[in-house]
Order: sequence, then C-alpha cells, then structure tokens
Amino acid sequence: MSTYEVRAEVTGSIWKIVTQVGQSVDPGEVIMIVESMKMEIPVIAEDGGRVESFKVEEGASVAEGQVVAVMAV
Amino acid sequence: MKTSAMERTAPDQGETGWQAEVDELNRRRRLAEKLGGPEAVSRHHDAGRKTIRERVDGLIDAGSFREVGKLTGQGRYENDGRLIDVTPAPYVMGLASIDGRPVAVGGEDFTVRGGTSWSGDRKKGGQGGFVEDMAYQYRIPLVNLIDGAGGSVTSIQRRGHAVFPGVHGFERSVALLGVVPVVSAVLGTAAGGPAGRAILSHWSVMVRGSSQVFAAGPPVVQRSLGQKLDKEELGGSRLAVDGAGTIDNSAPDETECFALIRRFLSYMPQNVWELPPAVPCDDPADRAEQALLDIVPRDRRKPYNMRRLVRMVMDRDSIFEIQPTFGKALVTSLARLNGKVVGVIANNPMYYGGAMDVKAARKQIHFIELCDCFHIPLVFFVDVPGFMVGKEAEEAATLRVGMRAVYAALQATVPIFTVVVGKCYGMAGMATTDKNGLDFKVAWPSAEWGSLPIEGGVAAAFRRDIAQAADPVAREREIEAELKAVASPFRTAEAFGVEDIIDPRETRAHLCRLVDTVQPRLRISLGPKPKYGVGP
Repeated sequence: MSTYEVRAEVTGSIWKIVTQVGQSVDPGEVIMIVESMKMEIPVIAEDGGRVESFKVEEGASVAEGQVVAVMAV
Repeated sequence: MKTSAMERTAPDQGETGWQAEVDELNRRRRLAEKLGGPEAVSRHHDAGRKTIRERVDGLIDAGSFREVGKLTGQGRYENDGRLIDVTPAPYVMGLASIDGRPVAVGGEDFTVRGGTSWSGDRKKGGQGGFVEDMAYQYRIPLVNLIDGAGGSVTSIQRRGHAVFPGVHGFERSVALLGVVPVVSAVLGTAAGGPAGRAILSHWSVMVRGSSQVFAAGPPVVQRSLGQKLDKEELGGSRLAVDGAGTIDNSAPDETECFALIRRFLSYMPQNVWELPPAVPCDDPADRAEQALLDIVPRDRRKPYNMRRLVRMVMDRDSIFEIQPTFGKALVTSLARLNGKVVGVIANNPMYYGGAMDVKAARKQIHFIELCDCFHIPLVFFVDVPGFMVGKEAEEAATLRVGMRAVYAALQATVPIFTVVVGKCYGMAGMATTDKNGLDFKVAWPSAEWGSLPIEGGVAAAFRRDIAQAADPVAREREIEAELKAVASPFRTAEAFGVEDIIDPRETRAHLCRLVDTVQPRLRISLGPKPKYGVGP
C-alpha cells in the first residue's frame, strides 16, 4: 500500500471537511471544501483511496499548494 | 541474363564512370548515420533518450525525411588524402511531412560534442541557419527538436577571439514567428542559446523527468549565486511548465511528445497566407447537451467544471489544451466547431473564482496572439470576477500585465465570439469582447456583469446611506437586493447592451453558425499581421 498527499489548489480557509479518517472515496471525489474569494472550492482526492489523515481542521487557513490530507491507496 | 540499370547506364567503370566517388558518397552517408559513434549513442540511449535520427523518424510520416547537409562534418584524412573518418556536424535537419503536409525539421545531435555547434561555418540550424531559412522561404512549419547546451568557452580557444552575442543571432527565428508555425520540443538539457531558441516558438513542449530548460545550468548558478540545485530542480517540467510557464506543455516520454507536436500542427495552417485546415465533422452542429442547462450552479458560491462545459460545446474529441498546468485561472484550448479551428479561452472558477492573475494574463496574451497570427477565431466562455486583488497580486503587477491582456484582445483582428456564462466584471471582463465591432457577444441566463460585483461595491458606493441607517447591515443587504434586480441580464438585453441571451443548450448551434458565417471574411483577411503600438 502506498500513500499520496492531497494539496489545496488555492489559498483560503477550510470551510468544511466532508469526509472522515478511514473513509474510502472514489477517484476525483471531494474530501473537503476550501473557501476562497467567496467561493467554495472543492479539494479532490485525484486517485481516490482511503483517507489516512487530515493535516488541517475546519476554519484553518491554508496556503496554495499546502498539504491538507494524506490518502492511502 | 538480366543486367542492372546501373550497368546499362554506366558500362565503362574504369575510365569515365564515377562509381568510386559514389562509393565514397555512400560511405560518407553511412558515417553520418553513425552519429557520435556506438559508445556515445549507447550512453544517450541509457539516459532514456532517443538519437536525433530516431526523433525525426518518430515525429514524421514514415519514409518522408529528405535530409539536407548529411555530408557536413569534419573529415580526417591519411597523408595521401584518403578519407579515414568524418565526425558529423552535431545538427541533423531536412524536409519531411507530417500528416501529408511539408515541414522543415531539425535538431541537435547530442552524441556529437553534446550538440555543441562550432559556429565557424555556415550553420545547418539550431539558432537561425539553413533549416530556418527553408521554413521561411518555403512557407512551411518549423519543428525544432532541441537537445543542446549552447555555447562553450572552448570555442574562444579554437577561434582565437570571443564571439559578439547576436552575430549568429535570432533574426530569422523572430521573423518566422509572424509567418509560419514554429514548434519547439526540449528533449534534453537546454541552456543558453538552445533554451532561448525553444522560447521563440508558437508552442513548446518538454519531456517530464528527462528534459530541463534554463538560462544557465547548475554549475553557473552555483558560481554566481551560491545556490546548489540539481538540473531537475532548476529547470525540470515542474518548474518550467507547471510553475513558470516557460514551456507550454509536457509529455511523459518522447513518443507522446511527438504525438503532441503532430496534434498541435493539425490545428495550424502551413503559413499566415492560408486558413487552418477544416476537417469533415460528424458531430451534429445542432447537438444540444441537456447538462449545459444546470452546469452553472444557482448558488454563486459554488464553482463548476469549466473544462466539462467547453467539452460539451466543441466538436467531440477536438480539444487540445495549451498550457494545461500553468495559469490555472484560465483554460486555453485549440478546438473545432463544425470542423473549423477555433481558439477557446475560458475562465476557471475553481481557481480563485477565475480571477485573472499575472499567470492567467500571460497565458491569455500569448494565446490571443497565436490565434490572431494564424487567423483562428476566438471563442470566450466568460466567468471572471475581475483582476486578482491583494498585496501579492499588486506586487506581481497584475494590473499592468492584466491590461496587456486587454490590449492584446482589443488589437486582435480575428472574429471574437463571447459567451458570458457567469460573471463578467471590470477590466478583466473587457479583455473578453470586442465591444464596438460586429463580433458577437451573447449571455446565458446565469450571466451577471458590471464594473464590479455588487457585493463588493455597495459598501463603498453607499457608505453614508448605510452608516446613517438604523440597521446598517440590513440597509446594505437591501441596497444589494435593489441593484441585483436591475442588474439582470434581461435588462441589458432590452437596451441591446448584449446581442442576445441564449438557452445554454443552444450554445453549440449558435457558435457553429457564427464560425461558418465568418469563413469568407477569414479568407479575405489572410497574410501577416502588422505590428503597431506599444503594449503596456
């Protein structure tokens, strides 16, 4: 089993985490939502897999390119 | 007994025939095909790279290569004048065809002196040279297969003097950009002149992991600045393509890289005096996708997939995205509508709501210039809240580079068709239409526009009114609601401020009709574009 990092595409704040640690998601599924420029930008687990851990919590500020979750595949 | 053609036409070998010379010619050709010799070729292959001859073969129609200057090189001779060996010139070039259309193609041979040219003699190519002259004179596309590290200080020793920059310059390379399509593929480590040559192109591509491009490589950087970086960190595709947009696209390997080059050229005319090639289209021009009706969410806070929207409108499988990983606030693609080539510029609401930053502006400027040069109509799918705001954006000169995008759009003479699907605000919005010409702009019912979004403007414009209200927050919302009612796109359509509002499902039929209608005008406005004015 290997892991990969999911990064925020944009600077903003974590509005909602819509998955849980241990949850399995399909490729391309939304795992959390970043609020940026008054928009809700989905953060996507490109290759799907199981959510290993979150690196941020709701309300936290994130920078563009920051790792927000680790997925296991 | 049968006699060969050779024997019939040249019966007298000994006295007047030229068989000995023809034998030498064939030997010299074989020597040229050995490139830098088996050891150098094997080292090159071990690095996961193809030789220049394999690259040319991988790119072009099978058997179409007509090499030019194959005998060029440095011969070594016995005292009696007999040829011992020839080291080929480190550049292979000639004429070929791609999908049946002629091109000029050339590239450095890395297995000979790392592709470093001696620059003393007439040049075959690399930076100007015969291959570029052919492309220019024959009005055919040029493909550069770049794999060279540029000048070497050893040439000073050989020549006895240093070369003034520009003596073997970029004049022809620059002139080509206004006349024929120029493609550059960076297939090894390109620094200095070859790196610069890669940039002087309409479209460029490099191979992920095995090619790098920079003004100067790691040793020079370490001496100059003390920065210790390997060449992948300094000029690999992550930096050069995804981050800096120095090179447009990347490919996983050389084979895929050649496929991308052929694909790019399939959208290009041979030169600016021809129209881009139209192809038969079996995708109905009036195809109406139901999903277009609700792709833009009513909730303005929710972004959507603009690439999917564009795919549903264009001819099936016709989209070729330029700079897909750079300047993410914008999506630029070559595509087809009813078989005719168009350039599509679409804002990407997934990235900062589609606000135009410096990278997106750079991407838009180059793409508009590319399409304008080759008479490719532009189609905008607009959802732009304006220029990117904030201190970082101002420091990056977003205003100046953004206005350059406006300048490029207003200078373009190709037809511009604008479909406003969401926001169209401010100066970034201006860069998406030709307001005074006959170029069409239509809107979806989800469109909204103005000089700035109402939410952002109310607090500033009605400051006193809001401050004096008993409940300032409620008053601000009230003013917003009043303005929003008047801001409906239908009110603008009543005033003929927008040509039409369409059902999103009608978009493809609408655009196909316009693109078909404009073909005669495109045919009578061919030729090079004059350059005038000073861009901001």
